[in-house]
Amino acid sequence: MKRYPCSGCSLLCDDIIVKSDGLFIDEVIGACLKGKERFDQVSAQNRITSPMIRKNDELINTSWEEALAKTVEIIKNSSAPLLYGFSNVTCEAQRAGMDLAREINGFIDSNASICQGKILNKAKAQGINLTTITEIINKVDLIILWGANPAETIPRLLNKVLFSRGKFRMTGREIKTLVIIDPVKTASFNVMGVRDLALIIEPDKDIELIQMLKEECCSADSIPSGGVAGVDKNDLKRLLLHLTGAENGVIILGQGVIQPHADYDLMEELLDLLQLINTRQVKGRISLLLLGGHFNMAGFDHVALSSYGVSGKLQFESKKLVKSEDTIISKINKENFDCSIIVGTDPISHLPHSLSSKLAKKPLILIDNHNSATSRIADIVLPTAITGIESSGLAYRIDQVPVELKKILNPPNNIPSDEELLNQLIEKLNGGAK
Amino acid sequence: MELYKFLPKTNCKECGKPTCMAFSLDLLQGKAKIDDCPPLLKPKYKKQYDKLKEMLGSEEGQQKELRINVDEDLCDGCGICVTICPVNARYCPPSLSGKAPEYPPEKHQLFQVIGGKCELLNLEHCRRLDSEGRERECRVCETYCPREAIKIEYV
Amino acid sequence: MDFLLNTMRKIDNDQVKEHSFGNKQSLEENLAISFINPKDFDKLNLVSSLHLKISNNQRNIIVKIEKDDNVPEGTITMPVSIWSNQLTEILNDELVYKNIVVSVEATREPILKFEEIIQKIRGIE
Repeated sequence: MKRYPCSGCSLLCDDIIVKSDGLFIDEVIGACLKGKERFDQVSAQNRITSPMIRKNDELINTSWEEALAKTVEIIKNSSAPLLYGFSNVTCEAQRAGMDLAREINGFIDSNASICQGKILNKAKAQGINLTTITEIINKVDLIILWGANPAETIPRLLNKVLFSRGKFRMTGREIKTLVIIDPVKTASFNVMGVRDLALIIEPDKDIELIQMLKEECCSADSIPSGGVAGVDKNDLKRLLLHLTGAENGVIILGQGVIQPHADYDLMEELLDLLQLINTRQVKGRISLLLLGGHFNMAGFDHVALSSYGVSGKLQFESKKLVKSEDTIISKINKENFDCSIIVGTDPISHLPHSLSSKLAKKPLILIDNHNSATSRIADIVLPTAITGIESSGLAYRIDQVPVELKKILNPPNNIPSDEELLNQLIEKLNGGAK
Repeated sequence: MELYKFLPKTNCKECGKPTCMAFSLDLLQGKAKIDDCPPLLKPKYKKQYDKLKEMLGSEEGQQKELRINVDEDLCDGCGICVTICPVNARYCPPSLSGKAPEYPPEKHQLFQVIGGKCELLNLEHCRRLDSEGRERECRVCETYCPREAIKIEYV
Repeated sequence: MDFLLNTMRKIDNDQVKEHSFGNKQSLEENLAISFINPKDFDKLNLVSSLHLKISNNQRNIIVKIEKDDNVPEGTITMPVSIWSNQLTEILNDELVYKNIVVSVEATREPILKFEEIIQKIRGIE
């Protein structure tokens, strides 16, 4: 039977079998719970299928003409709009969003900048190797999880990288070693075998472990006998042996290493350590893989780089790209904007109170397809088709490999896809300016 | 296993089975009785004999069936059981590299992930029933499930 | 008492799932919850009918409390949600989601409702 890619998380598995008659989805085979929930969004209880406008402090259904006209009015009355989100949409829609930002002299950024985007930029700047999932399946013999919990965030990752049998690792699980470093004993610890190493470090003490590893790299002689950061001496010796003896290793980083500190930068220290191990190794190398959330988190930087020559956030003035020192956080914190367009995300629930309260003070236009905390305070809500099921496009996986998403059903009420809606807004703004 | 600890562990084959481990499996499933092991009836193994009688109790000799339970509330559809089961690996080529096997399922396929949860298809080809020797002690699906949702038991 | 707060993602307590498929009640049941080590549970003289008041800087929240052996002593774990984000902070242009210093105490007050948080964010008390 035909296989479709799944847009549930950023692993973009492309081996899902979907039984459908063109009107409804009957069965989903091979997808994990997160993927099944994504396919269920088509008929979700709280799905929004018609545009809504806030009148007398309540959201009421309205027509597309009225909603789009009100949107254009809000944008025309603002001089510094903010565009945020863009990790739950295809690359074509991200490009349309950037064109819209240029049209209205706005500042556009994606969720990746507060998630894994920072580590990725620093890693690329330092020249650390990234790797793909197929390489891990076929060649890797050491996997380190640092601050990552794939059993709860990306369920099929451990299945694919640890348990599968690759071309050069045919015995699969028996030949691969797993090391997990985490302060909490999460569900990922349950896949450990006898050869594996579990290090439960004390909270907030990652930096001590990194500094010790940097000093003792390649020689296990003078490890402090009392251990470091709650890890005892024998485990530390084994960790050093694995790090320096692996033929082909991969270190997977999650949200756990994003811990800002006043005195040091944890991510830079970690990347320095990786660089050190790679230069001192006699054989083999260790590469990097970053876990992400929404399915197209990695795509925004690629599209920005290829369309506008800058990887990351974009600020436009007089319809031209300008340099800017601002980040999305500083823009919201200093209230340097006068309206916001949120696409495919829920910042009122994800951002700290000090930022979400400032975002709520200004007019907010939401482009999303289900209820959320942001839809409770938005002034206009514009629904779009669910990507990967009702509309197609390109998306980038966690290992920067592009995957083409396919269309299975038609959207209800003929609602447009994200790309079509953003292009409609650009047309209306252009038409009005004349 | 707990029963194996109290056997002579000499693999003398007087009970007709090749190893003491195989005999303990038969004891658990009710296919053999404690008295089928002649060395156990000797006085030097009296303590072990009594302990085994106490552990099995009235269930000794009662035919027991193998059951593999998948807890629907804990399962999150990760598919590790599909990839690691040796029977799946032999008969379903896509599962070797972590991909979902074909649908409709193969005759010998044991596990499949449907609707986001793992489902057990047919138990008759499980290694614990369908093979000889050390392969009958296969427990990989229970050991490696990250949410501890699979339980092997005899009822 | 001072504790460290850690916010993490859990597949059973998922905000997006509750918003799409559930209602306000299931949202509060699954997300206004925190996990603590059993030894700390006893130190704070908690029982299962009491709630936990977690506060830091000028804000506080009141949530359910559950025991969990895997949580290290001296820390509390919460799923990422609009409740836990009442306490997360900004430091030098970066967001802090882990190892936040908070103070906790047992309380009889009712759990903070979703509507109340929305009102707080909109600035209407």
